[in-house]
Formats: sequence, structure tokens, C-alpha cells
Amino acid sequence: MSRLRVDWPACRAHGICHELLPDVVRLDEWGYPIVTGEVEEADRADARAAVKACPRLALRLE
Amino acid sequence: MSTDTAARRDRLVQGAVTSPLEVTEDLDVRPGPALLAAHLPDLAAHRRRHGMPAVLDVDGLAALVSAAGMRGRGGAGFPFARKLAAAAAGGRRPVVVVNASEGEPASAKDAALVATAPHLVLDGAAVAARALGAREVHVVLPGDRPRTRALLAAAVAERVATEPRGGLLDGSRLRWQTHIAEPRFVAGQAQAVLELMAGRPNLPVTAWQPEAMAGHRGRPTLLSNAETWAHVGLLACEGLPATLLRGTAEEPGTTLVTVVAPGVRTAVHEVEHGAALRDLLPAHVLGGSVLLGGFHGTWLTADAAADAVLSAARLRAAGTPIGAGVVIAPGPRACLLGLTERITAYLADQSAGRCGPCVNGLPALADAVAGLRRGQPDAAERVARLCGLLPGRGACAHPDGTARLVASLLRAAPGEIAAHARGRCEASVRGAA
Repeated sequence: MSRLRVDWPACRAHGICHELLPDVVRLDEWGYPIVTGEVEEADRADARAAVKACPRLALRLE
Repeated sequence: MSTDTAARRDRLVQGAVTSPLEVTEDLDVRPGPALLAAHLPDLAAHRRRHGMPAVLDVDGLAALVSAAGMRGRGGAGFPFARKLAAAAAGGRRPVVVVNASEGEPASAKDAALVATAPHLVLDGAAVAARALGAREVHVVLPGDRPRTRALLAAAVAERVATEPRGGLLDGSRLRWQTHIAEPRFVAGQAQAVLELMAGRPNLPVTAWQPEAMAGHRGRPTLLSNAETWAHVGLLACEGLPATLLRGTAEEPGTTLVTVVAPGVRTAVHEVEHGAALRDLLPAHVLGGSVLLGGFHGTWLTADAAADAVLSAARLRAAGTPIGAGVVIAPGPRACLLGLTERITAYLADQSAGRCGPCVNGLPALADAVAGLRRGQPDAAERVARLCGLLPGRGACAHPDGTARLVASLLRAAPGEIAAHARGRCEASVRGAA
């Protein structure tokens, strides 16, 4: 099990993490991510893709 | 960036909303059993009373603070021994930081301590620096308390001039450095202090690791509140038995409490753990609700305030942590909704403006609390939802603390919220009676 962490000052609500990981990342009413839980083993590849795809490099998988 | 957020960021001119409680340095400092027992502004007077602190290695210091049950006094209440152990295990030479920035306008305990016994604070930092092999002690001074800033800077300068080894007997040398915090609420947050020390804007940033592991220039950094350091200094000067005689068996020692009440000067008390909260309150505010822990604190109902005991452990267990020891007692006639509305608007304005959930969520929460005060029918639901959305989503705990305050209003004042929804303010009705 691992966890997604957000660099909040870096995040600008592009929402790509939610597109790639809808089960783990919801968006609030302003489009900022809400990480709802741990990243399951089966979702790890998608989580890594979300980390790479973030245009602000504001995600980490720990 | 969403256009909404961009607009908010552009509009964000911090300082537009004044604090409902102003910073004051005109304090009523009550004599206490230990830290505030004697007025010792200069080093000679301090040494006459307390002597030199013990020279301790890191194991000795850890044993001492563990036996005393020491927890941080900056608000989070983290066990000091664990922070010390983390800094010692970092593998690089640690740095020690005294945080006397006291960014909360309602708090005055660090100012009282600095005016009364600044060298206890500095002794604590010197003892820890010696134990950790640190060579630098950084002292962060408050940006909006000029008298306190001058007193603490003078104490550091006096120590550098008269005790070249930094107040230690064993030949180690310390370099003391002072910094002035920005006059804003979040400036004293640990990561914001590290930014200040690094010469960058004094604002919170994301920390991937706690500062005790990787802080100033990547070094393990033992950063603690001024009062925490004073307790360490006292332990090193007078030894464990004196501390164990104060407070309770489970929670030895004393704590500083700032009491803010209408019509009287802000008072700072040093009380033994286990003291009754009501004994610190002026008679004219008894029977009212109390905001415990300051602007990031929690509302206690009048009944809970009447029974509350100043034990950090018991208050934490009750879900009403003592925080940095601020007690705001507006009295039985005050409208809790109105005061919370003003505090929330101020806290929203004090956002560093860096994290989306805070930039957007705090003004939204302030609007929702205003709606609650005006009696809007759907406001309570909106407030509760926003309070659930804010925690854990920022570089610092400013949104968490603001949500804690507002959520506690929902729990402590359901009758008043219902009265506002009916278009009546119970507080003013009671006040008129």
C-alpha cells in the first residue's frame, strides 16, 4: 500500500490526477484534489502515471 | 489555474481584515510557581537565582524531558523527547531554533515570558544545542511586538557579550542568530520559520519530512516554542524533582495561559497542570462559553468551561486541546456566532494564499459562517461540509485549525444557531434579561 501526497502550493487544479485515478482522487468544488484513501497494489501503475502526468509536478507516491 | 482561483489570488491583499482581538504588549503578568516566579530580565540576576544549567548529553536530556512528560507548547503538543530523538538520529549536525514569533494576536504568553525570564528560554536552547552537538541557535522574534522583540534581542546580545560559550561550561561554542518574523498569523508555523531562516518569504511550504529530520539547510532541526525551551532550561537548572513537585503525578509541571476577556487587560498566568480553568477567569465572564486554544481552538459550552481542568492530556482526550494556552472568555452576553464570524473572516484573510483549498475554502467558510449568523436556512449544512473538506489539504495546518474552530461552534452552540435561524440571537436576549 502506498499513498499519494500533494504539494499543495504547487497544485493549480488541473485535475489530471482525478482523470487517471477517479477511485483515489476526487475533486472539490474548485477543482482541487481530495485524496480519498491509500493506493491499492492494482492501482499503482495508474498512480505512477498520475504523478508523471501532473503538469505542476505536485504529486508524490510514497 | 481556474479563473476563480486566479481572481481570488489577485484579490488577495493580506491584512485587509483586522483581528477581532488586537495584539497588545500591555499585559497583566501574574507571578507563577516556576517560569514566572521572579522578574529576571538580565543574565546576572538570572544566574544568581538559577545558577548554570546542567551540561547534558543527548541521552541525559532525553531522560530528563521524558521523566517530566514534556510536550511542546507551541500548539501541537508533540512529545519533546520524540522530536529530540529524531533530531539526534539525523546523521548530520543539528540546528536549534527558538520560535518566539507568537503569530496569534490573542496569545501573549511568550511575550510575558520574554519580559520576565528570557534567559530561561535561552538556557533551554543552549542545553539542547550542547546535547545535540549543534553550533547554531536561531531565535525567531515576533514581527508585531516591538517591545518583546527588543527584550529578547537584548537578552541574546547580553549572553553573546558576557558568556562567549553561550551559557555552557564545557568549552563548546554556540553561534546565536536572530530573525524577525512577518506580522502575520501563519508566520510562526515551522516550515514558514525555516523559509524565513533561509532568506525566503516567511510563508509555509510543503514539507515532505518533519523538520526534526530535515530542516534548515537539510539539517535535523529542533524547532520549539519559546515556552517549551524555558521548561527545558528550568529542568536543566533546577533538576527533575522540583518539576515533579508541581502539577499532577500524571502531568507534572506548569503551563502558561493567556486569558483574554472584555474590559480587562490581557492576563498571563502560569498554572500547575490540573488547575481549574474557572479560577483564571474574571467574575464578569463566568457562566459564558470559552474559546480554548485561541483562533485555531475549540468552543467550550458554559458548563464545560465551568468544569474544565487545565490538563493538556485530559483536554486533548476530550477533543478540546489547549493548543498554545489561549483562553478567550467573551462572557455570557457575547454572541458566539458573531465572534466566530469575525475570527473566521480574519483567518481567511491571513491565508498565505498559496494552497488552493485554503485560498478558496477559507473565504467560502467565512461566508458560510456569516450566513449562519444571519440565520440562512442552509448555512449549517454548508459550514459542516466545508469543515469536513479543509483538514489535511495544505502546506500548513491553517485550514485545519480554522475548520476546528468552526466545527466546534456547531457542537457547542446548537441552541444559539437554531435561535439565529429563527431570527433571534439568544445571547442578546440573555444579555437583556
